[in-house]
Amino acid sequence: MPFDQLDLKRAIAGDERAMQRLWSQHAPHIDAVVRRLCGDAELAADISQEVWMQIFRALPSYRGDSQFGTWAHRIAVNRTLNALRKIRRLAKLETDIEDDSALTEQDTDRTFLAESIEQAMTKLSPGARAVFVLHDVEGYTHGEIGEELGITPGGSKSQLFKARAKLKMLLAHLVDESQPVAGKGKAHVAPV
Amino acid sequence: MSHLSEDQLDHLIARERASQHPPLNEWRTIAARAREEGLIRESESHSWAAGQPWLQAAAAVLLLIGGMAIGRATIGLPTSTGQVESSVAANRTASTASGPTVPAISASASFASVDDASATLERALGDYQRASAFLAANGSGATTMDSSRIYSARLAALEKVGNAMESALQTAPHDPVINQYYLATMGARVATQQLVNRPVGLALKGF
Repeated sequence: MPFDQLDLKRAIAGDERAMQRLWSQHAPHIDAVVRRLCGDAELAADISQEVWMQIFRALPSYRGDSQFGTWAHRIAVNRTLNALRKIRRLAKLETDIEDDSALTEQDTDRTFLAESIEQAMTKLSPGARAVFVLHDVEGYTHGEIGEELGITPGGSKSQLFKARAKLKMLLAHLVDESQPVAGKGKAHVAPV
Repeated sequence: MSHLSEDQLDHLIARERASQHPPLNEWRTIAARAREEGLIRESESHSWAAGQPWLQAAAAVLLLIGGMAIGRATIGLPTSTGQVESSVAANRTASTASGPTVPAISASASFASVDDASATLERALGDYQRASAFLAANGSGATTMDSSRIYSARLAALEKVGNAMESALQTAPHDPVINQYYLATMGARVATQQLVNRPVGLALKGF
C-alpha cells in the first residue's frame, strides 16, 4: 500500500504501523545512499538509524512541496555527510599521530582488486567518494554538490575526475572478464 | 596497466544505481529508537478493540460523552448528564446572560453545502483540539490529591478511544470524521501523558 497523506498524519501522531509503512517503502533507497556515502556497512547501519530518527522528527515540517522520497533523500544526504564530517575530524587527529598511514593505504591500493564498484568505492577518499556517489549515482549537479560539501563546483568536478580515474584503475581487471560490461553506445546519464 | 573505458565505468555505475539492497537495519531496531525518543505512541493494548465491535461502539459513545463533557467544561456548563438535562431549559432562557464568550453553534444550524458543513466541522474540531489541549495542560484545579488518578483515568480512556479509532481506520482509512477524531484523540493523549509524567508538586503549582 503506498504511503499517502493519511499515513503521514498518522505517522506524525506516532502511529507505529504508519511509520513502518513509510520506512518499508523508502528504506531501500534511503539506506542505499547512506551505505554508498559511508563505504562501511557497520557505520552505515548506525548512521541510517540517525537518519531515520531525523526523518521521523522532521515529519511535521514536511509540507508536501516535493515528493516525500526526495525530501527524505535530502535529509539522508545531509545527516550522513554531517556524521562523516564528525568522524573525519576524529580520524584526522588520529592520522596526525600516525602519519605513515596515508602511504600504507596507497601501497595497499596498488594490489587491491575490487570485485564490484561498491567495493571499489571504499578505496576512494571520503570527499571523492561523496562527490562520485552524489553526482554519478544519485544525480546531483556539481552546483548542488558544492552546496552540500562546501566546495566550489570546479572542486567537485576535479574530485569526480580523480574518483572516476581511480575507479577505472581499481576495476581494470574486470575488463577481460566482463566484456559485456562495455555496453557500447550507452549514454552517460549523470548530470553535469 | 589496462583501464576501464568511460562507457564500461558508466555501465557499472548504472548497474549499481539499479541494484536493490535490503535495509541496513530491521524495523524493530528503528522502532526501538523511535520509541525511546517518544516518536512512537505506545499502545499497550494495541489490539484491545480489534475484532470486538461492541467495544468499539462503546468507545465511540465514550468519545462523544467525553467530548460533550470537555466542551461543556470549557464554556462553564455542568458536565453530568443529569445536570445537563435539568439545566437545558435554564440555559436556553439565559443564553445571552453573562458568561464565557464562546461562540455557540445553533443546534438547528443548517448548511448550504457539503463544503460548508466540512468547514464548520474543521473549525469546531480545531476549537475542540485547542480546548482539549488547554484543559489537559491546566486541569480543573478542583481536586489536588486525586489529580494524577484523574489524569491516569483520562489517559486510559483516551488510549481506548484511540485504539477504537485506529480500528475504525482499518475499515475506513479515508473517512474524514474518523481521521479528525483520531488526531484529536492523539493530541489530547499526548497532552495528558505529559501531565501524568509531571511530578505532582509541579502539576499543582499552576493551580
